[in-house]
Amino acid sequence: MSEITLNINGKQCKGKQGDSVLDVCVANSIDLPTLCHYKGLTDVGACRMCLVEIEKERNFVPACTHPASDGQVVKTSSEKLEKYRRLILELMFTERNHLCAYCVDSGDCELQSLAYKYQMDNARYQYAWPTQVTDSSNPFIVMDHNRCILCGRCIRTCDEITGAHALDFGKRGWKTNVCADINQPLGESSCISCGGCFQACPTGAIFSKASAYRGKPVECTTVESTCAICGVGCDIKALVKNNRLVRIDSPDMTKPRGLLCEMGRFEPLYDSAERVTTPLNRNSKGQLASCSYEEAFEIIAKKFGASDSVAGLASGKASSEALKALADLMDKLGSKLVDTLDGDDCRTVSQGIARFDSKAGLDMEAKLEDILTADCIVVIGAHPTKSHPVIGSYIMRAASKNKAQLIVLDPLRNPFTFRASVWLKPPEGKKELTVKALGKAILDHGLPKAAGDKSKFSADFKEVDVKKAGKDLGIDVHDITRAGQLLAESKNSIIIYGSGILEYKDADLVATILNLAALTSEKPSVISLKRYGNSRGAWQLGLGNPRGPVASDLAKGKAKGLYLLLADDLTESQALTDSIKGVEFTVVQASYLSPATAKADIVLPSLLWTESKGSYTTLDGINKKTSPLVKAPADIKTDADTLKEVARHLKK
Amino acid sequence: MAKVKVATVWLEACSGCHMSFLDIDEFIIDVSKLVEFRRSPITDIKTFTPVDVGIVEGSVGNEEEKEIIEELRHNCKILMAWGDCACFGGVCAMRNTFNKEDVLRRAYIETPSTYNGKIPVSPGVPALLDKVYPANQIVKVDCYVPGCPPEPEAIKYGLTELLAGRIPVVPSNIMRFD
Ligand code: SF4
Ligand code: SF4
Ligand code: SF4
Ligand code: SF4
Repeated sequence: MSEITLNINGKQCKGKQGDSVLDVCVANSIDLPTLCHYKGLTDVGACRMCLVEIEKERNFVPACTHPASDGQVVKTSSEKLEKYRRLILELMFTERNHLCAYCVDSGDCELQSLAYKYQMDNARYQYAWPTQVTDSSNPFIVMDHNRCILCGRCIRTCDEITGAHALDFGKRGWKTNVCADINQPLGESSCISCGGCFQACPTGAIFSKASAYRGKPVECTTVESTCAICGVGCDIKALVKNNRLVRIDSPDMTKPRGLLCEMGRFEPLYDSAERVTTPLNRNSKGQLASCSYEEAFEIIAKKFGASDSVAGLASGKASSEALKALADLMDKLGSKLVDTLDGDDCRTVSQGIARFDSKAGLDMEAKLEDILTADCIVVIGAHPTKSHPVIGSYIMRAASKNKAQLIVLDPLRNPFTFRASVWLKPPEGKKELTVKALGKAILDHGLPKAAGDKSKFSADFKEVDVKKAGKDLGIDVHDITRAGQLLAESKNSIIIYGSGILEYKDADLVATILNLAALTSEKPSVISLKRYGNSRGAWQLGLGNPRGPVASDLAKGKAKGLYLLLADDLTESQALTDSIKGVEFTVVQASYLSPATAKADIVLPSLLWTESKGSYTTLDGINKKTSPLVKAPADIKTDADTLKEVARHLKK
Repeated sequence: MAKVKVATVWLEACSGCHMSFLDIDEFIIDVSKLVEFRRSPITDIKTFTPVDVGIVEGSVGNEEEKEIIEELRHNCKILMAWGDCACFGGVCAMRNTFNKEDVLRRAYIETPSTYNGKIPVSPGVPALLDKVYPANQIVKVDCYVPGCPPEPEAIKYGLTELLAGRIPVVPSNIMRFD
């Protein structure tokens, strides 16, 4: 991009063609007050704080929306400009009800700090004192219209970053207000509670319930870490005061993995489940009672030492260090029975890849950011808005910003179905036929010459008769043909599949999906939604594959002992607790008391991901690390250390 | 040098601003050397006489407060507002988003602890204005020290500047609205 030079306040300032005047000011460290501008969002020139004087312009212009051009002579400050800025602030203060002393945002408010800067010790205008509502219908977020300056940052964040577009301006003129959907309470709207809006809001107009009055940023320490809840691995910046989490922000919402979701932003703040704080041992009365680590280790060593078949089962929420230590422990015990709770998913993906083409199949596993640049997205049996919300956001952003075509293959309605170009509803058990019919529709439409020879990938689809398949499936043939056409014409499509496919444990189905991807794209891209934050880490450590499955062995009573590493996983299934029943001696290592710990003979405490240092591999293979945000409520060893201690106590 | 004559009033507010004034530590000794307090909650003098500086804490929400601030303005050369209530309306202005009748009914009849309540109509109880106003919406104000309550530091700054013959504008680094 060609370079331009502007004269700003008498200083030669370099910028790029396409920059706004504000961009050039920022790049050259020239201070300019802004309120509606937010890094990474489209500028709209709503607040008029960044007004500047430009030679030969008739009026003052907002620097954020005014294109910079070579040779421009700009003045960012003059008596008149400063007078106007103060005037704008006074108008903002009198337009709504600003009572700083009672506002959650006082001390962290951009409007307030500008008022200080401009020494706004009074307002000369008639106060409007409008009657505004406070909407607290969302479980996590309050929208207090009394404090809103109508800058639109929340609206643009929700649209451009979160991709939800739940917010917009409603009504006109004097009555203008931020509203959710068609003026519904936020809690009943399409808001997905990602919290992006309140992070972007410059005032106290949108705030997090759990963070309100917990502490001002100046009183907090800041810790950067990674969210380990799901396999996206978003970056987080936590504000902590007196060892209490005040708020979880994104360090930079415009960066890849900079977005957060409801789980990452709020789950750690609402944590109220009862913790395991010390090792527990089942006493002679059959009750779990507190004991020392040493006692627990000795008992485990004795029991496991005497047993010839101990199985290890881990949640994919555990850190890689812990998973590795569990694998080592099992090795030391000479046991081949190691698995993860989502081992079946992992094996299905692996075997599907192997059936397709081991090397090429792995290469097809795309990076999440590839979704943002895709021109056609196929979502098969996945509800990322629920399971991996940021992936849901990426999809919605691609669809709205890039006009990416969205094809949804799912029997149930989900947030994407109403945005989808085509929604195919396969009846139960007919997903494979639907995928195959889609493949055939692509072949029928014909692939562009540039796609090269795809005959290798068409074998799976050739025999299908789309019309007949449509009839069998109860799907309109035109929908299948249309989806086929969209895929055939796309340049970089991406296929995302998840639990709705993996639940069938059908590797052939996965292989067919990979075939479909290979058929449609030069650089075939597939994302499999793995269930836990570190599922991929466990996969790479070989826990669930080639080892496992263990659950069925447990059920058959093959294992006499079980080491269950749950870490901070609270979602363990009934099937899991059932499988423990037949085991003679069970150790559960977990952060929380749960049905599983209730059945255990020994319980060992786990730290939460917010309390410990650990490595996690995102579902697309990026290694990320967590840092402790807060101290644990008791002296608890890391999962890896606990497991190593158990291994050390074994006599062999 | 003759002492500077000062009157202070406490209108619709919590008296926090006057407390903050008393919180200026040993500076209060310097002030007392240079200043003579006339009508003020501190002296308990109830009548107005002409002064150099008038200081108002609190917003204006009823007929009596309106009368007092008008009389103060009439009797002082420079009028300084203390605190968010006087500067912006403050917490008292919260009632402005409701209408007056609703506010009265809520306070005197509907509160859970009220039995057989009545809205007072005695001429001895000043009538509420339609809204609660910051001082500058009723009379001309010359300078402001915002804060809820103002930082003693800011109060001190305001007084020092006035005593030096300047109209104070609280600098950004000590200005607070909370
Ligand atoms: S939003 Fe900002 S300016 Fe408005 S009351 Fe709250 S802290 Fe004060
Ligand atoms: S929480 Fe997220 S989805 Fe909800 S309104 Fe705010 S930005 Fe939009
Ligand atoms: S709620 Fe906040 S971000 Fe949204 S328009 Fe109002 S002040 Fe701006
Ligand atoms: S998408 Fe996943 S990693 Fe990101 S904030 Fe949500 S739960 Fe955490």
